Amino acid sequence: MNVDDIVRDALREQAAEQPPAAAGFADRVLAVRRRRRTRRIAAAAVVTVAVVAIGVGVPLLDSGKHDVRPSGGGGIVVEKKTKAHPDQSPPREEISVGGTTLAGYFIPDTVKKTAETAVYQRTYHLLNPRTGKYAKTVDWSWVAVAPGAKTAAVLEQDLPASRIGLLDLTTGKVERWIPVDHGAGGLAFSRDGRKLVATTYTKNPDLRVKTEGDIEWSPEWTSSRTGFYVLDVASGKGDWNEVRLASDDGRLGGSVLNSRQDFALTDDGLHVWSGNPMGDIGKEFWDLKGNKVPTPAKDKHLQWYVDAGKSPDGSLVAGEFAGKRWKTSSWIVDAATGETTEVHGQQLLAWVGNKQLIAWDIGKNDKSEFHQRLVLVTIGSDKETPLSGFRQSDEGIEGEAGNAGNAGRWEPVFAQP
Amino acid sequence: MNAEGLESFRDFVDSRSSALLKTAVLLCGGDQHAGEDLLQNALVRTAGRWQKIDEPEAYVRQVLYRQQVSRWRLKWPRREVSVAEPPEPAGSGEPGADTAAAAELRLVMRQALSRLTARQRTVLVLRYFEDLPEADVARLLGCSVGTVRSTTHRSLARLRQLAPELTALGPAQAERLESRDYSPVEVRP
Repeated sequence: MNVDDIVRDALREQAAEQPPAAAGFADRVLAVRRRRRTRRIAAAAVVTVAVVAIGVGVPLLDSGKHDVRPSGGGGIVVEKKTKAHPDQSPPREEISVGGTTLAGYFIPDTVKKTAETAVYQRTYHLLNPRTGKYAKTVDWSWVAVAPGAKTAAVLEQDLPASRIGLLDLTTGKVERWIPVDHGAGGLAFSRDGRKLVATTYTKNPDLRVKTEGDIEWSPEWTSSRTGFYVLDVASGKGDWNEVRLASDDGRLGGSVLNSRQDFALTDDGLHVWSGNPMGDIGKEFWDLKGNKVPTPAKDKHLQWYVDAGKSPDGSLVAGEFAGKRWKTSSWIVDAATGETTEVHGQQLLAWVGNKQLIAWDIGKNDKSEFHQRLVLVTIGSDKETPLSGFRQSDEGIEGEAGNAGNAGRWEPVFAQP
Repeated sequence: MNAEGLESFRDFVDSRSSALLKTAVLLCGGDQHAGEDLLQNALVRTAGRWQKIDEPEAYVRQVLYRQQVSRWRLKWPRREVSVAEPPEPAGSGEPGADTAAAAELRLVMRQALSRLTARQRTVLVLRYFEDLPEADVARLLGCSVGTVRSTTHRSLARLRQLAPELTALGPAQAERLESRDYSPVEVRP
């Protein structure tokens, strides 16, 4: 007996055990459809009201009480204060806890380019550290914010880009351009903000395609990733390193990476790593010259799809969804021993010190997995502090499921102190 | 949707939802609730275009597969799949020992399947449950035959890794490929 026989038998046995669909399934589907359509109309109404409210609210709120941040000056000033706006989604005013700052957010949208192609586009709203408000910018296809939330590295529209801009978030102006020979599609700062990793692609990694008879856009299954630069931010210098796709090196198979699968530096700055969803351990590591290295022991619990990564002291790793003790919770993994504990939060986004994190979470008794807000959670505590308003559940938008780009959704960009 | 459309939609769902649900649950690694959600979403989408669709079943299935492979990045509960405890391994001399061992192997396999990525599992469900040839899987998922082949290969390798009990088994057809893939890679029109 071969493995495929067992796979076949196991699947058939499992299918045979399935109880039939509940009676009235059609009515349930039709009811959901009606509800979504109604909600879509309601959502449009809410947006109109919000715009009016902003128009009235801004002059009242903007009475000089912000401007608490030092303007420049070298030293890192960590604000201990919590700035939360549980009534705002997407936020209009600064959200930050203990120096970890929501430096901006983007609103994703799939923009049709030709009959067969579209681009997953991010419209960024970036925090101006002087005004403490988020302002929309349409210039950038990709923004990585440096620790301290004063500077960002940006890529212009139409990826891959031939230059990287260093943007002053206070003035909104690009201070310096770093030209690159290999087109860059993604950027990530090192933990200390001194280095910048640029992932290079030959095609736009945010391209979406529609294939035969299809009604929705989907990312390409093939990757055009070519390698990475590790750039010194101060001088703009750094070498490009080729990283060949699995299909190039004679081993079996086409490339199985996501069309966007960016590189990043490990927290100690010694290695570059990236997710490898179809690989054995889901990630790969290289030295700064692009030579493949074995997984560093202290990085073996990293998950590329968990944004928070390692705690500032390196002892803990933010893990994936847990859902054991609470309906929505996530794992915290001991970087050395692999021991796990659970913490509140559906999706861990950024560390605040070594004991707290900012996460997405749904409300109590919330039925929709997408109706989430930013919250502050603490390891070993039941307390959860809301930081933003709820994101609109994307069940409200017809024709989209899951995490595709939709109106009403916003995706946070955090900066460490 | 007009009254006639509503009626034919209801008829379609009543007659086909049990079969579709089987596929949906398999795609979700045995998670009944996730399978129902997946099917419900696919049917809601289908309802919106009901009167423009010629072959509803083929349409719903394609939405199911594609939705599932695009959903895999969702950071949402992978609900634990409850699987009955495997029976005690029977002594080799006893009658029925082979069947018990085979049943145990299927349970192990089921658990391993539930731990694959959605993309890996989808390819296996299409190849081994729906019995579709590689070219059809590629067309349904909108990828190349080479990608289907390598994904199948990697998924089987991952299963072996997740369930060491499978080591004793012979290689699947898909695992007996040459080390280099010479298949045509583009099937899109």
